Amino acid sequence: MDLPGPIHEILVLFGGFVLLLGGLGVVLLTNPIYSAFSLGLVLVCMSLFYFLLNSYFVAVAQLLIYVGAINVLIIFAVMFVNGLEWSKDKNSWTIGDGFTLLVCITITFSLMTTIPDTSWFGILWTTRSNQIVE
Amino acid sequence: MFLLHEYDIFWTFLIIASLIPILVFWISGLLAPVSKGPEKLSSYESGYYMFALVFVVFDVDTVFLYPWAMSFDVLGLSVFIEAFIFVLILVVGLVYAWRKGALEWS
Repeated sequence: MDLPGPIHEILVLFGGFVLLLGGLGVVLLTNPIYSAFSLGLVLVCMSLFYFLLNSYFVAVAQLLIYVGAINVLIIFAVMFVNGLEWSKDKNSWTIGDGFTLLVCITITFSLMTTIPDTSWFGILWTTRSNQIVE
Repeated sequence: MFLLHEYDIFWTFLIIASLIPILVFWISGLLAPVSKGPEKLSSYESGYYMFALVFVVFDVDTVFLYPWAMSFDVLGLSVFIEAFIFVLILVVGLVYAWRKGALEWS
């Protein structure tokens, strides 16, 4: 979007922060309905990112399909869960959890270092003469 | 309001459309009696699961047809035939859902 500089950055940071919080909420909340609505918040944040990158169609398609259809399906599936059977004991770490944490941290940091260093402008899939609209 | 002044009416609409459900749920939460019971924690099936499934399929279908519809006048005959084949493939899915009884109301 053609927003003034600081507002664009504030929206990106806000969206990223809410996305992270929503992601943590999906994983860590014990009530599965809250978890499913938190997933809806994550998908809405992704749609906000698409708006900020000038991809209006993809952003609206994201809202329509992911939030409007897929999230609704997930909530329907979660409704089948019997409420009396939720686990109320404390979440304790297992060895598999620690290994997964290491792998995810490695992937995160390798992505954080490779993405800014790649020259994305060098990747051109279509040439200019293939445009349909003249 | 603060940004994108040509979208003022849209922001107003969005704010009012967001405030009404929030207001409704809040007032209902204040005024309704609270009753706890084991029935409230049991699983709930509203019967609309099959409709949500069919909706996902045809929503994705529709989203793929929107760009084709917008640029229909500059695309040629071959693209029309391709879109027709795409819709035919989805009609096969529709016939499957129909014969499986997913479109029954009861």
